[in-house]
Amino acid sequence: MTAMLEVRGLTRRFGGLVAVNDLTFEVNEGEMIGLIGPNGSGKTTTFSMLSGALRPSSGTIAFNGERIEGLKANKVCRKGLARTFQVVQPFPDITATENVMIGAFVNTGGGRQAEAKAREELERVGLTPKADTLAKELTLLQLKRLEIAKALATEPKLLLLDEVAAGLTSTEVDVMLKLVRQLNTEGITCIIVEHVMRFVMNLSHRCIVIDFGSQIAEGTPEEVLNNPAVHAAYLGEEASIA
Amino acid sequence: MNLKMPYIRIVVIGALICLLPLVLSTFYMHIAVLVLIWAFLACAWNIIGGYAGQHSLGNGLYMGIGAYTVAYLVNRFNLTPWVGLVVAIILSAAAAAFIGWIVFRYALKGAYFALVTIALTEAAVYVVSNIPALGGAGGMQMEYRGNSLAYMQFAGQNGYFYMGVVLVVFILLLTQWYKRKRFFYQLIAVRENEDAAEALGVDTVKAKIKANVMSGVLCAVGGVFYAQYFLYVGPRSVFGEVVSVQILIYAIVGGLGTTWGPVVGAVLLVPLSEITRGQLGNSFPGSQLLLYGLVMVLTMMFMPFGIMGLADRLRQRWQHRSATPLVDSQGGEAS
Repeated sequence: MTAMLEVRGLTRRFGGLVAVNDLTFEVNEGEMIGLIGPNGSGKTTTFSMLSGALRPSSGTIAFNGERIEGLKANKVCRKGLARTFQVVQPFPDITATENVMIGAFVNTGGGRQAEAKAREELERVGLTPKADTLAKELTLLQLKRLEIAKALATEPKLLLLDEVAAGLTSTEVDVMLKLVRQLNTEGITCIIVEHVMRFVMNLSHRCIVIDFGSQIAEGTPEEVLNNPAVHAAYLGEEASIA
Repeated sequence: MNLKMPYIRIVVIGALICLLPLVLSTFYMHIAVLVLIWAFLACAWNIIGGYAGQHSLGNGLYMGIGAYTVAYLVNRFNLTPWVGLVVAIILSAAAAAFIGWIVFRYALKGAYFALVTIALTEAAVYVVSNIPALGGAGGMQMEYRGNSLAYMQFAGQNGYFYMGVVLVVFILLLTQWYKRKRFFYQLIAVRENEDAAEALGVDTVKAKIKANVMSGVLCAVGGVFYAQYFLYVGPRSVFGEVVSVQILIYAIVGGLGTTWGPVVGAVLLVPLSEITRGQLGNSFPGSQLLLYGLVMVLTMMFMPFGIMGLADRLRQRWQHRSATPLVDSQGGEAS
């Protein structure tokens, strides 16, 4: 069986800076992958390349056997690969339902169907009470849920979640954890970028650790946590030796 | 909420407006026709400027293409303006698609997009002024052929007035209908946040080009109507930045991205400027432009969302006041 997502030699340079360097990994259907690494290690850049927002300098990305590197974001989305943004990106002056409808229009042309779909997704992320509230009036937790609802409305097979737990209180993280786990059991493959370790460790089947744009470790959450290279990346050489 | 209500409202108001010729004098009927022309053009601009959020300062280009196409075809080939209308639609669609393709493909946004559009409409003034076949700087006079729908010409203003009402009702219905369609949601997504729109499968370049074409074609239709009413087209009267700004000012003052905003703006401002011109035109030439400037500044200061936005806010405040008990004035809604 071929993997759902096959990334080979993915590289992105910004001038002299290599933000992502020769990254190679696979994601199988139904998996929940944690993509972790210290700040500035290239996680979001990787997401941007996978979702089509950024062109890779080199390397290939195959999604369900089809090459997608260099495609524009809207095409990638319509192939079933959706993302959420680290910094939430709502459409501020329209309601939560209308926000989600824009995603729903990927699969339907009719306003009524799109609205029904949008309300369904809002229900799924627990945002029904705020369905008719303008996006600019929502709290951060609500906006993060809205991000997920928007992405879900496009009916993705693979969902890239960029720091959906960052900035949330401990209780809110639990809520988000439950939601993402629920999505995975419903059959959506996920890659999560996250700094909240409790979140990643609880959810991921497998973790990929990158540092300075290169992969330094891969394995189950436990294996990765006990890996000296990972300790070094997060805490520095000496700390890991000590 | 009843989904048919907005359509019924448009048709009923349109029908009531048709009674105006019974009460208005010739002078005021002239102003009424002008209101309709500018309301239509402002509604057309609202698609690219209000819904898609791309502030084109050059929609005079398409109005001019419409007006000049019909004037040229009528004068030169003796064709009926209805043929001219079809040709104008095709030409303006081609121009809007080409310009949109170049501009949006290279991701020109905000002020840069505005500058390019203003440059193009100004360039058109000079190009047209130097083509003798189009009447040069003096423009083109069109012959009056008598009261006939086939020639889109009427004796007196009433014929034009009814035609204007039909056009405005048409564009309002079109806007209202489109509001529930994928295309309009995509335009709003583009206006609100392009990156997020792309990530949700919206082809932002294509959506903007489509909006530009729709807006351009409708402006050209307005231009055809304008030419038929005045039976004259001149480079500065249909192309150029003054006309272009006039088109958008009504939409901005009335309320960007609202169905009725452009109409409300035109209903309030056109008579104001015509009457100022009538009263002060000789002693203070250009006074109506001064007035536009003033209204623009006041709008931006006191009602950034236009009259419709202000009306919405007042309505909300009124509902809020009537719903909230007087005793409890503090503490917002718990989230």
